Amino acid sequence: MNNMILFPIIILLFLIPAGIFAQDDLMNLLNDSTAKEINYTTATFKSTRIMNGHSVEKMPPGQLDFRISHRFGTINSGAYNFFGLDQSNVHFSLEYGLYKWLMIGVGRGTYEKTFDGFTKFTILRQSSGARVMPVSLSVFSSVALNTLKWSDPTRTNYYSSRLSYVGQVLIARKINQSFSVQISPTYVHRNLVATELDPNDLLAVGLGGRVKLTRRISLNVEYFYLANPKKYMSLPVYNPLSVGFDIETGGHVFQLFFTNSLAMIEKGFVGETTGQWKHGDIHFGFNISRVFTLKKNKAKV
Amino acid sequence: MKRFYIIIATVSVFLFFFVSCYYDNEEALYPALSNSCDTTNVTFSGTIVPILKNNCYSCHSNANAAFGANIHLEGYANVVTNYAKIIVSINLGSGVKAMPPGGKLKACSLTQFDIWIRNGMLNN
Repeated sequence: MNNMILFPIIILLFLIPAGIFAQDDLMNLLNDSTAKEINYTTATFKSTRIMNGHSVEKMPPGQLDFRISHRFGTINSGAYNFFGLDQSNVHFSLEYGLYKWLMIGVGRGTYEKTFDGFTKFTILRQSSGARVMPVSLSVFSSVALNTLKWSDPTRTNYYSSRLSYVGQVLIARKINQSFSVQISPTYVHRNLVATELDPNDLLAVGLGGRVKLTRRISLNVEYFYLANPKKYMSLPVYNPLSVGFDIETGGHVFQLFFTNSLAMIEKGFVGETTGQWKHGDIHFGFNISRVFTLKKNKAKV
Repeated sequence: MKRFYIIIATVSVFLFFFVSCYYDNEEALYPALSNSCDTTNVTFSGTIVPILKNNCYSCHSNANAAFGANIHLEGYANVVTNYAKIIVSINLGSGVKAMPPGGKLKACSLTQFDIWIRNGMLNN
């Protein structure tokens, strides 16, 4: 008699436990998948530079970064020179992500008319989840070729004298959404120095940090401590300190800052910073980065 | 496997950067030049102008002065006007920015500059 009513009820009774089980399965699936995945930390820094120095960040594969950087004259050069803006020191570079773990770049700077090339590759990536890694670690190396005319063309000049090398280990940690720090032990080798008392090898430690102020703006600070004794060097050398902001606008990252170093390559700002903050030898500077996607990401390698 | 070769290639290129390291300094590399400093025959055209040309004109020639805080060091009159600034900055004294930015001039050039000024900054 009541078959018509009973049937759906029986079906329902069967379905309810099935539904409960299915829910369990889904929950398990969800748990499993979150447990197995490695959550890599992204955007430790906004750009491949903190200010002057490199950050652990790299260009993703297939993306070309065209960077235009300027450092102006010193602010204490007065209103006549518009506080340094009349003099400009430029560095152009093209930087490309070859693989997820490797980027390369070439550049040309006004400072000592230098051509430079670099490679940067990842060894460790900060992650949580299935694999916990507290820090990101990248290795950076570069060569710079000074193409200034020889100070004395009559003597025997060697091509090697124009070269200098940089090796750097970049270790960074994104502590939380808005705060990242980096420590970068740096080695700089100069093939030719002015006097016997100038060291060919320089050892320095870079310290950098970023505090996000809004979604698009962050405050960055960077300092390099040069470990070599500076007393007997033929140039009065100081440690470079840079303070400024990163402003992100879509495909561009603008970095605006103040620094006491004029050069934009490691060899220059680690070993040849002659300005002092307390004397007002401060340069206004900016880096503009424009990213072009050359290859669509296949998410391989 | 392909990835392995890429890593090997990268590391070898990386190492190649460091193989041509030299430990040179100008004093040791060019001792003859630093010992034979001509201090008797110092003239504006023969001594001072070449020093300025090799070390300063990339920013301080009349054409490039915008890059060098608008300090002109080309021509006798300009050098005489700025001689005090020059002598302090090339000797890395205080109050003026140390010059040249790439490193101190050779001792010989500094001596010759000094002699030229002491001889009365002649236009010879």
